[in-house]
Amino acid sequence: MHRLYVLPTLIINAVIIAIPALLTVVLAFFEWDGVSSPVFVGFDNFRALWDDGVFWTALTNNIIWTLIFLTIPIAMGLLAATMLLVARRGSSFFQMVYFLPIVIATAITGRVWQGMIYSPVTGIAGLMQRAGFDVVNPLTHTSTALYGIATVDLWHWWGFLCVIFFAALRQVPAEQVEAARVEGATFLQTIRYVLLPGIKPTITLMMIMTVIWSFLVFDFVYILTQGGPAFSSEVLSTFAYRSAFYDLAVGKAAAISVVISLFGLLATVFYIRAQAKEFDQ
Amino acid sequence: MKTKLYLIAAVAMLGAVHAANAQDRVTWWYEQATPAQQKLIQDNIVEPFDKANPKYNLSIDYRGNEIDKQLRVALLAGNGPDVVYTAGPSYVAPMADAGQLLPLDDYASKYGWNDRILKVFLEMGRYNGKLYALPKTYETVGLFYNKTLFDKHGWTPPKSLDELEALAAKMKDAGITPFAAGNADWRGANEWFVTLALNAVAGPENLNKALRGDMPWTAEPFVKSIDRLKSWWEDGYFGKNYFSLTSSEQAADMMASGRAGMMPTGTWQFQNVTLYGKKDGSTAGFVGFPSASGDPVFPLGIGSTFSIASKSSDPDGAAALINFVFSPKVYGSMNSAWQGEWNIPLKDLSKAEMTDEVTPLFTQTMKTLSTAVKDGNYGYTTWTFLPPATDSYLINGIEQVWLDKISTEDFLSKLDETFQREKKAGKVPSIPAR
Repeated sequence: MHRLYVLPTLIINAVIIAIPALLTVVLAFFEWDGVSSPVFVGFDNFRALWDDGVFWTALTNNIIWTLIFLTIPIAMGLLAATMLLVARRGSSFFQMVYFLPIVIATAITGRVWQGMIYSPVTGIAGLMQRAGFDVVNPLTHTSTALYGIATVDLWHWWGFLCVIFFAALRQVPAEQVEAARVEGATFLQTIRYVLLPGIKPTITLMMIMTVIWSFLVFDFVYILTQGGPAFSSEVLSTFAYRSAFYDLAVGKAAAISVVISLFGLLATVFYIRAQAKEFDQ
Repeated sequence: MKTKLYLIAAVAMLGAVHAANAQDRVTWWYEQATPAQQKLIQDNIVEPFDKANPKYNLSIDYRGNEIDKQLRVALLAGNGPDVVYTAGPSYVAPMADAGQLLPLDDYASKYGWNDRILKVFLEMGRYNGKLYALPKTYETVGLFYNKTLFDKHGWTPPKSLDELEALAAKMKDAGITPFAAGNADWRGANEWFVTLALNAVAGPENLNKALRGDMPWTAEPFVKSIDRLKSWWEDGYFGKNYFSLTSSEQAADMMASGRAGMMPTGTWQFQNVTLYGKKDGSTAGFVGFPSASGDPVFPLGIGSTFSIASKSSDPDGAAALINFVFSPKVYGSMNSAWQGEWNIPLKDLSKAEMTDEVTPLFTQTMKTLSTAVKDGNYGYTTWTFLPPATDSYLINGIEQVWLDKISTEDFLSKLDETFQREKKAGKVPSIPAR
């Protein structure tokens, strides 16, 4: 009887996730414009992706994105969280300040950065240009567009990690920290040998989630550059979106989505294995 | 007790259904419109239509700029509005092919559309010999210029591409950006310039051949067109903030303020040109974009189209609405207040009354365009005549050419490859004979 309790979530998962996901996998082997009947084409969609330079640009950008988000925000979050731990006074105030950007809707954050910071007409970049500094809008150059978007996402994201890490750090038993201090460990040694190992499971989880999220990234890229200029900030999800809704190549879009899912799946396997290990311990 | 409640609910629902049936609801999904624009539609279309057709009750839903995606999904599911409003003929072809649209030929003869609407546009709405769509508005791209600035410097609007380039050089010397342009709000703005280059350099005859599949897009005239456009980009005609400026307001402001001298864009910009001209105290002029041979070319574009869903519960009501919009009265009232979006392709405009507020420049431009269309002397806009994937590649690929990521030849060969594939799949909209 108690097994019935899983039924509601199971039904939701099947209807909203499993069936559409399976359909997407099936569609990846069809040519379909989203209107008429699909035609089976075997591996043609994947072959076309293999030969498509934009696909490789997008994949590379996703990998760069993953590397950026595996390092910078996690390092910033950890640093700020340990600072908060040391300077307890005002920590809740700083937590709130750091956390605030994540509460703001993505579209608004994107527009604020685009219009009020990066824009050479209405933004800070424009003010500096008029004051004689040679400031350019990073979103408009092929070499910097992706980093310009990553900066916005970082701004919005790292505070979240900081708050998570801070919460985890507070769970590290005070006796361990106390003992380290009594043994004469320096601050850095305390971090290295007591605090970091204490919150390792949290860091691992956040890193695995980062990999999954990085391959799903869409919102900031689409709002700020739509993958441009000249595909320089294209990621797999914007590429899939363009294929489905602009090129009317739904099969190709499904094939791209399958590639995205493969990376997510890989990360999920890692996560589940790491978790299983923890349970074993 | 419970049974009684159910009964009451059922009766109430029946009543509601009955009330809805007394008047047939005609549904129409419209694209994005500001509250002021929605009011114009309410005052000039909805209310007069309901009054003239007591049998019907028109209901408009404003769906924003993602309307075509929503329509596609809704029609696939067999839902959606009675009046299907697409962004152009290239959207109509796949829908007609899938049997989602009703042929309009019977309504056309019933209402006499064939006599009232310009022939070219009827032909563009045909698919496999049947009429599926009527264009709501037609447009062209040309060259706006800051007349005040031109007078001050003693410049005249260019009459050939060489003159255009000589003038641009003078502007750059004076510290003025030649073209007011941007694509931050609408990446599709890229194709306005590709359209101009293709029509000005390769010319409409070659474009017609390529669109029919009689000439590849890799042919020499097209290489020359893209190379010339690229040289304009490299010479800084588009300014250094192209990717940051919006194609509508900020570009118009840039020209009106004199920071840029000219603005190659479409007739839909008339509203902004007037607005920012007033703000910056300058007047604007408009000429056809000069061609290599000298005569200006007017590339023809269709802003949006009307069709009727095959699953529509009230096709007669939908046809009555379309017929109502195609009247001199609606042409006059909508164009008086909202220029560029309601340039309905009527043959006879002598009964259309416009208010004095409309700039003579607009009326004159539309007259020139309509004459060019009647004489078969028009060019082709990429967004109206290219199939979806080709058009989408053109918009993004041209940035790669501009920014030196690929060569003109590579760009055109990929464009051609995409075009031939879509042509084979029957996705190219119908191209009227010249």
